Amino acid sequence: MASRDIFMGIDLGTTNSTAAVFDGERVDFVRDQQGATVLPSVVRIDSRGTVTAGSRARRYLESDPENTRTEFKRLMGTREEMLFPASRQKKTPPELAAEVLKVIRRAAGVQIGFEPEQAVISVPALFELPQSAATSEAGRLAGFSKVELIQEPVASALAAGWTADEDEGFWLVYDLGGGTFDASLLETRDGLLRVVAHDGDNFLGGRDIDQALSGWLAERLAEEHGVRVSRSDPSDAAIFRRLKLAAEEAKIELSHASEAVLSLEGISSPKGEIDVDLVLNRATLDALALPVIEKSIEVCERLVLANGVEKGKLHRVVLVGGPTAMPVLRQRIRERLQIPVAEGLDPMTLVAHGAALFALTSRLPARPVAVSEEKRRSFWLQYPGMSSDPAPHVLGRLTAAPGDGTEPSAAEPFAIRLSRSDGGWKGGLLELDAEGAFVTSVELLPRKTSVFFLEAFAKDGSVVPVEPRSLTIVHGLTISDPPLSRTVGVALADDSTREFIRRGTPLPARKTLTLRTVETVAKGSEGSLLKIPIIQGEFPSAHLCRLVGTLEIAGREVTATLPPGSAVEVTLELDRGGRLSARAFVPALNRVFSEVAHLAVPEIAPDSLAAAIASARERLAGIRRDAFANRDRNLLERAGEVEAHLAEAARDLAAARGGEPDSTQRAQRNLLDAEAVLAELEEERSWPELWDEAQQEFAFSAEWVARLGTEIEERHLSEAGRALEKAHQGKNATELSRQLRLVKRLGTAAFYRHPDAWFWMFDAASSSVSRASEPAKAAKLVKEGEEARKRGDSAAVRGVVERLWALLPPDPEFRRLGYDSGIR
Amino acid sequence: MKSDLAGRVASNPFLVLGITPAFSRREMEREGQKLLGMLELGMAEARSYPTVFGPRPRTPEMVREAMAELRDPGRRLAHELLFLEGTAGVDADRGEKTVGWSGAFSALGLSRWPSR
Ligand SMILES: Nc1ncnc2c1ncn2[C@@H]1O[C@H](COP(=O)(O)OP(=O)(O)O)[C@@H](O)[C@H]1O
Ligand SMILES: [Mg+2]
Repeated sequence: MASRDIFMGIDLGTTNSTAAVFDGERVDFVRDQQGATVLPSVVRIDSRGTVTAGSRARRYLESDPENTRTEFKRLMGTREEMLFPASRQKKTPPELAAEVLKVIRRAAGVQIGFEPEQAVISVPALFELPQSAATSEAGRLAGFSKVELIQEPVASALAAGWTADEDEGFWLVYDLGGGTFDASLLETRDGLLRVVAHDGDNFLGGRDIDQALSGWLAERLAEEHGVRVSRSDPSDAAIFRRLKLAAEEAKIELSHASEAVLSLEGISSPKGEIDVDLVLNRATLDALALPVIEKSIEVCERLVLANGVEKGKLHRVVLVGGPTAMPVLRQRIRERLQIPVAEGLDPMTLVAHGAALFALTSRLPARPVAVSEEKRRSFWLQYPGMSSDPAPHVLGRLTAAPGDGTEPSAAEPFAIRLSRSDGGWKGGLLELDAEGAFVTSVELLPRKTSVFFLEAFAKDGSVVPVEPRSLTIVHGLTISDPPLSRTVGVALADDSTREFIRRGTPLPARKTLTLRTVETVAKGSEGSLLKIPIIQGEFPSAHLCRLVGTLEIAGREVTATLPPGSAVEVTLELDRGGRLSARAFVPALNRVFSEVAHLAVPEIAPDSLAAAIASARERLAGIRRDAFANRDRNLLERAGEVEAHLAEAARDLAAARGGEPDSTQRAQRNLLDAEAVLAELEEERSWPELWDEAQQEFAFSAEWVARLGTEIEERHLSEAGRALEKAHQGKNATELSRQLRLVKRLGTAAFYRHPDAWFWMFDAASSSVSRASEPAKAAKLVKEGEEARKRGDSAAVRGVVERLWALLPPDPEFRRLGYDSGIR
Repeated sequence: MKSDLAGRVASNPFLVLGITPAFSRREMEREGQKLLGMLELGMAEARSYPTVFGPRPRTPEMVREAMAELRDPGRRLAHELLFLEGTAGVDADRGEKTVGWSGAFSALGLSRWPSR
């Protein structure tokens, strides 16, 4: 009897964590010492330095908040450290997450008989690269030798699909946790699960309901008991923590009851310490929670709409996360989205369940396959751990002979045979090819787990012992490669972006592009540093995208001075879990640089945040003035949207100054959102100019394409012309600039076919030569160009022009916005 | 310039996966999985694929991308048309005319509109 592998999945949540183990047939949830399947993501370090995590730590959240930390998942990927004053220890977010993982690992060990070494950990779909990297790091710190990541919605859908009968169509996964909201649109068809798209909000969750409710409680305290507390006053932080805990308890109670009593003891008031009892009914809670719920549903609607799925085409919605236990939430979803809510699924454990299934799919058993000491020949196998295909492929290849290789192994495998352990299926005898490889398929037990034995035979028919002896495949859903949630690229010196891996690209993925340096990197110079900022986001301006890391090439590491315009081959690579690695190859130096200076969400000092908010307010005021003058209702409304983001950013900033650790990030996020809308509005405001420019560009291109273009180019141009007109009518600035790019390209291509094109470009470039970064070199180039022109050598002139362009410096303002990028 | 047209035709997902539009989605997935396995094992047979322009190297990234392209029904349709066009009508004599805008543009070595 082949012993079954066990697979482990962990939902490492902001508020709570859960874990599941799966043996190919049954799913079990990991229970802590108290028998609970839901483990609070809380860590406490006492004065002796003893670390506790989980429910034992959670008890101290109220009485000893200084030394008891939670919600560190929000800080994953930042460089922030959390202080535990009693023991004078500092911990990074991955270190804290590792403490939670350790508790899970130990508890699982008790349950399955050995400490798991490999597991799948889920991360929110909108997690950016540094956050994923920090999660992997946490797994490593907890003692796992290998972890794979899975996006939470994929895990949820996998678990929901597994338990339910397979049906085909679109699904929506709605996951509202303590602090993050994910909406994902998935499609199941032909037994294949595909994530079509996802959207969400990294800062929306049950915690916001607690926040609203604690604000309401503060108002009651003020009105009814004369107790004044303020969120921006650090000395009130303690009372707010208590209010929040009380609020959360009451909220959870109200998911089942219609009324809850909150008791707060020993509140200091003008009349001395008092005990306060406040009654909260469900209607009040519902009203307070509604903005959060509505906001989440709007994200869903946006997602569904953006992907052209009609509401009626949605098969069902899978609800995940604690707050989805609230009746008002389920009701609003049913009403507004008009989709049946999948019932009978546990919103708290679904993600862990799916992660465990995924561990099997990606063949990551909790205990890695032992490498045997015996001198056996081994096969390297390729097959799906889970497949919807009843007869999936199994491939294998002999690995190099073991040992020193001096003595010829007794018997070399010549053929193999696969057979199912229940005796119901047996494959034919299969000869290995010249590379020692085989390709075949096996027959699965429908909707069950099949174990296959692998046997190898020598040429004379005798059995040759080989590893592995068996393999396991489950008949179920196939998951396609996870798509990248946000475009990854590089910021250029003019604040534009160069896209490397587009949103939606299946992972893993890798891309190399050649870029050019803007200025000299002096050999051995301490002061000279070339920055290649890596960004994530879809905005055309680099500064609106999120900086996720910076590749750096320092002068002191450079063996020869790099002139401006030197080629740098930048490679960005993402693994299945969205972990990023980056490297830059400089051909002139024949060297690879792979130091990513900081793969972290940059912190912003409160003061510079405040300044940024103020400057955004000023820009907004300008837009408002115009909107009033032109009685533009639409513009006014959108300005209101910016205002809301800015107001929230300001509130978060106040809270950050009051000592709430993740508020800075929140403020920054809101600021980014505000700036993105602002940029759009400013673009719209300059709409007449934009349209004017578009028409000129089009005229230019039309002329050149008519003169020197190909038939295909003409066709593309007239299509683009129609699209421009449509964008004009719909006042869609993004689409307009997209089409304009195409128009420009077509025009440029035709333009450069003119025999004199490069001569004209040369005139233009040499007229701005006074701005060049290396005037002497530029002057020499101009001379060279003039001579080439005399000879009528267009190719040489072109070379000169390109080198001249490389010497013209980017605008410093754009450069600053583009995260000080040193390349273009 | 001709090589650019070749590039576009030769990177058609059907060619990369070594299948034709007659393959169903399920069959496409099977072929893709098989190729990924073979590439992972370093089997020589999978490391290139034939095109009318001669053999082209095949990487796991290309296979994954091709599979993703063909999973999307709209995109698949476009590739089907290009596949049929590409294999049926590559006519060397048509020369420059058929290079197309993207070919012409990148043949000029320009990735961006020159700043003015
Ligand atoms: N029965 C309930 N009714 C309403 N909210 C709940 C309930 N149970 C838990 N919650 C809330 O759910 C949130 C935690 O959800 P969870 O899915 O565990 O979050 P995360 O994924 O962020 O760890 C908390 O805000 C908690 O207050
Ligand atoms: Mg969760």
